[in-house]
Amino acid sequence: MMLAVFVAMSCALVLAYLGQCRLSVVVLLVCFVLAVKLFLWEIYSPEYGFRMPWIQTDLVPEHKHTEDGLV
Amino acid sequence: MSNLLDSPSMLKTAIWLNYAFLFSMMFVIAGILTAAMVLQYGFGELPCPLCLLQRLAMFGVCFGIIQSFRTGFSYQNAGVSLLFATLLLVIAARQTVLDIYPRPGHEYIGSAVLGIHMPVWSIIIALCILTAYALKLIVLGDSKHLTESKASDLPVIGSIANILGLYVVALCLVNTVSVLLQCGLNECHTFGYQLLQ
Repeated sequence: MMLAVFVAMSCALVLAYLGQCRLSVVVLLVCFVLAVKLFLWEIYSPEYGFRMPWIQTDLVPEHKHTEDGLV
Repeated sequence: MSNLLDSPSMLKTAIWLNYAFLFSMMFVIAGILTAAMVLQYGFGELPCPLCLLQRLAMFGVCFGIIQSFRTGFSYQNAGVSLLFATLLLVIAARQTVLDIYPRPGHEYIGSAVLGIHMPVWSIIIALCILTAYALKLIVLGDSKHLTESKASDLPVIGSIANILGLYVVALCLVNTVSVLLQCGLNECHTFGYQLLQ
């Protein structure tokens, strides 16, 4: 898949350099779609999905203030 | 602003500034991509899949610039560059967050440059590209005649940019061969070049 993405980008750049404007843009858009698909596939975890549970997002419980200090 | 930029004397300056901006951006990105390849081949730091996608996004930014030099400036080409700059930002941000908490199998790979690792640098690079384009649009975006200009009107910048564009195309082709050796037709890993083992 990564190879397909880079081959598409190479083709798009070569076509752009040769002045094939429209064709190069079409190939580039194909490359963009493949790249987004590959990116989503790379970051997807069967265990977590797209979530990132290693990042703490729960509220930290507030400390209770007493006359002796924090509890 | 529009009338000022469209006066004959200022128009030439605006066209020059526009192409100088595009050339500078492609020059910097080509430098970054060259540095990445030096780290890969010279220091044996194999790129991870998301690192490769970030390189791809930088090539996409260059695509819009090369188009502008080959077929004339257009805001569609600028849009292509901005689209890939946004892709670069999203991928880099996600990778930074992915490895922000070091754990087995997840830590920033590669050398830190000035204490900052590659995905964080990619965020900075993407933000610089987006900010630079925003500033350019603020200063030059109001000119009606900018899209009628051709790089051939500026022989020196145009010629050097064409050579630089060819260098970027060559870099992309080398990267493609490198991806073939590293990943083959399978999933990419940083263990080594799959086809050379």
